[in-house]
Amino acid sequence: MSTDAHNLPHLHNLDTEIVARYTDQPPRLPAELRRQVEASWNGAPVQLYALADLDHALRLTQVWVALGPGRLAMARRVDRGEQWEIESVERARIQAVREAPGLSATTLTILGRPGDVPLAVLRYSHRQRRAFENLKFVLEEALEGRSVTAPDADAEYAASVARPMRDAQALVAGRRVAVIRRLLGYLAPYRRQLTLGMAAATLITLVSLVPPYLAGYVIDRVVRPAQEGRLDVGRAGAIAWLAVAAMALVYVVRQAAAVVRLRLMSVLGEWVARDLRAELYEHLQRLSLAFFSRKRTGSLITRVSADTDRLWEFLAFGVVDVSLSLVMLAGLGAVLVSLDWRLGLVMIIPVPLFCWAIYRHGEALNRAFLRVWRKWSRLTDVLSDTMPGIRVVKAFNQEAREVTRFGGHNDDVTDEINRLHGMWTTFWPLLMLAVHATTLGVWVLAVPRLLGGGPPLSAGTFVSFLLYTTMFVGPIEVIGQMARTMQRATTSAHRVFEVLDTEPEVTDVPRPVRLEPVRGQVAFENVTFAYDGVRQVLRGVSFDVAPGELIGLVGPSGGGKTTIVNLIARFYDVTGGAIHVDGVDLRRLETGHYRRQMGMVLQDPYLFHGTILENIRYGLPAASLEQVVAAARAANAHDFICKLQHGYDTVVGERGHTLSGGERQRVSIARAILHDPRILILDEATSSVDTETEREIQEALERLIAGRTVFAIAHRLSTLRKASRLFVIADGRLVESGTHIELLGKAHGRYRRLYEMQLQLQ
Amino acid sequence: MELTTLGRPVAAVASELTLERRADGRLWAVRGGAERAVWVRRCFPWSEPARLVSLRDDEEREFALVRDPAELDPTSRRVLEEAMVAAGFVFEITQVTAIDEEVEIRHWRVETRQGTRSFQTRLDAWPRLLPHGGLLIRDVAGDLYHLGEPGALDHHSRALLWAFVD
Repeated sequence: MSTDAHNLPHLHNLDTEIVARYTDQPPRLPAELRRQVEASWNGAPVQLYALADLDHALRLTQVWVALGPGRLAMARRVDRGEQWEIESVERARIQAVREAPGLSATTLTILGRPGDVPLAVLRYSHRQRRAFENLKFVLEEALEGRSVTAPDADAEYAASVARPMRDAQALVAGRRVAVIRRLLGYLAPYRRQLTLGMAAATLITLVSLVPPYLAGYVIDRVVRPAQEGRLDVGRAGAIAWLAVAAMALVYVVRQAAAVVRLRLMSVLGEWVARDLRAELYEHLQRLSLAFFSRKRTGSLITRVSADTDRLWEFLAFGVVDVSLSLVMLAGLGAVLVSLDWRLGLVMIIPVPLFCWAIYRHGEALNRAFLRVWRKWSRLTDVLSDTMPGIRVVKAFNQEAREVTRFGGHNDDVTDEINRLHGMWTTFWPLLMLAVHATTLGVWVLAVPRLLGGGPPLSAGTFVSFLLYTTMFVGPIEVIGQMARTMQRATTSAHRVFEVLDTEPEVTDVPRPVRLEPVRGQVAFENVTFAYDGVRQVLRGVSFDVAPGELIGLVGPSGGGKTTIVNLIARFYDVTGGAIHVDGVDLRRLETGHYRRQMGMVLQDPYLFHGTILENIRYGLPAASLEQVVAAARAANAHDFICKLQHGYDTVVGERGHTLSGGERQRVSIARAILHDPRILILDEATSSVDTETEREIQEALERLIAGRTVFAIAHRLSTLRKASRLFVIADGRLVESGTHIELLGKAHGRYRRLYEMQLQLQ
Repeated sequence: MELTTLGRPVAAVASELTLERRADGRLWAVRGGAERAVWVRRCFPWSEPARLVSLRDDEEREFALVRDPAELDPTSRRVLEEAMVAAGFVFEITQVTAIDEEVEIRHWRVETRQGTRSFQTRLDAWPRLLPHGGLLIRDVAGDLYHLGEPGALDHHSRALLWAFVD
């Protein structure tokens, strides 16, 4: 069963929505068809189904394939109505299921007796592949005498079709407006700063309207009356200087408000981005491994860094710029019309056209950017190929060819970027020409009136008008780019909210149990587990391990060994059966407390960026230096650490890459020793080192495992000779168990065969 | 023709390998005393689609490698070519109706020879330029969409594809 869809019902709804929205196929088996199929099966339920979307001529079609306890049905609609042509096959007649994969179509043949005509031949695209793999798995398990049932056929179908989409896209319930509203909700704790910032921005907008008005006022009421002798020169001077002082005051107020606005909003944006980053990171720490296996690490890092940064930009400036540009345009329109409605209309009418032109230009630039991005990715592909592979390039003497390849892509990118430059360098001067043409239109209408023809127009009003027209360009630009600003912000918000909306799949029960201390008794009771769909990777595994036992897990790759240790660590919850630790169901334990009693040494030990001391202390930050040295000695790490110039204070790089594989492994063993776990998991701890290093690690491990319950996975069987018992895991089952000697004594045993094969290779 | 059995190439004459579609609906390969139900995989689906075809059994082992179907007897050749159609099937785009960007994905609506289809690609999944021209688009589910001659599409389709075609 799918671990996602059943544990979290909202995911099922999401999957159904994805299928309905993004594919051309129904989100579930039509109810009428289900009724008809179940009626033809005497009431037996549909347990699982899939949709074959290609016919024998490889044209798109819709053939539903439904599986019940005793029958398999194929159904196609008759004449687009509610009538279905249903053909059922007794499951007892099915003897084999064969799959022939192609480039984009798979053929599934359901066979009866050898040589007979096939019971069914179905063709489908890759979109339906997971659903058919589920069907195939159930049929093949039945042929082996095992029964698998899916608890919810609708959920399995929707999950299997929607899964690739869900993995590719950050899907958050709600549309763009809802996402923006939710984003703005993060401003709520900073209401005071937001109000002040908005007030400052509004003040800037309003006072910006004052200087042109004052200019017009001074010309009409001071300069011209003084020139015409209607106003005393001394009084005119006083009024003019007062107007200049008022203008100075306006500019000072405007810039002061600008300081307040810029500082408050940028700081506020940073606070919100900080809150989002903190919430996001904290939530990421809570999420289960299943989430991390679905999402690419790079994508998660981007969400915490670049996306929150983009949201800062939107909250700090985008919100205010857009809203104030709207206010500014409305204010300018009102002022111009009130000054002179005829000239005002000349200026206002083209504004929507300018906004539209900027929007269209933005769209065209987007498409051009897409081309640049595509060609840029070809260029970076060459770099990411050749830089890590420079030894191969040199060994095959291909430097000249690589230089030519890079040069070709480099020219392509440059041409494309130049095309882009050509677009915007043409557009903006043309737009400005259009704005100027509007201004010229104002002149054409105004000049006769200034000279006495038509309705009167004062020189001051005209000057004010001209000054106001220069203020149109900024807001028009912001409004024209509003769609793009909103789109960028909602994309980032989607990606952030997707993480925040994901619930951890492994959670504690309301009153979890603490084992103090954990003794280390581990029991599997008929455990089944599936990462995805109905395909079980563990099928009814049962065993009982006493405290202090060393259990070696052996068997072929993909058999289920790592899944067993993942379940013991409770990285996932079982889908069937139960795991008990010291007699308590693992799901009832407090996960954090339980994991503190558990240690892991992995094949590729992960060391964090920091000193060796910090890495050894990672699980127990309060450990004394003496304890650290003792742990390092026990791990055979002390000597090599002391040879390093900075000893335990040596900083190891990302993933510990300044140390060799064996050294990193010994540091990780020291970390596990200091952690002092009751249950220890060793996953191929010595597989990637040379023989001498392996000996040293083996010694260290022997000290580490003493007195603990240990589950050790190893392909080199010789490393597990000291195990209390060996479990041979194959095809999701525990197929053999016993001591090394006992298992070797089984004439046709799996372990003996594996062991002999390894001896031959040596 | 060269045949390869379980990874060991052996020289053989064409007449040794015959192919037939049997009553069970499956393709059977017969060579000498051995016969196996097989399915076909084109080794070079884009650079040399008609040649070098691997015949593989249910265990994914190669039963034979056909260098050129023309070297087979006429019946075997016909049966193989029919099987190759299914093995090499991809959606053939005849018209692009819409390309929209959403969060992290690009949503395509197209007409294909097989019917109307919607599919999605990741934003950074660019169409692949094929050796003999044409484009290949892979959607998030792994389905493939072939555009044989982008330049021969209608004006609207070409305008939508402009950003994706050199």
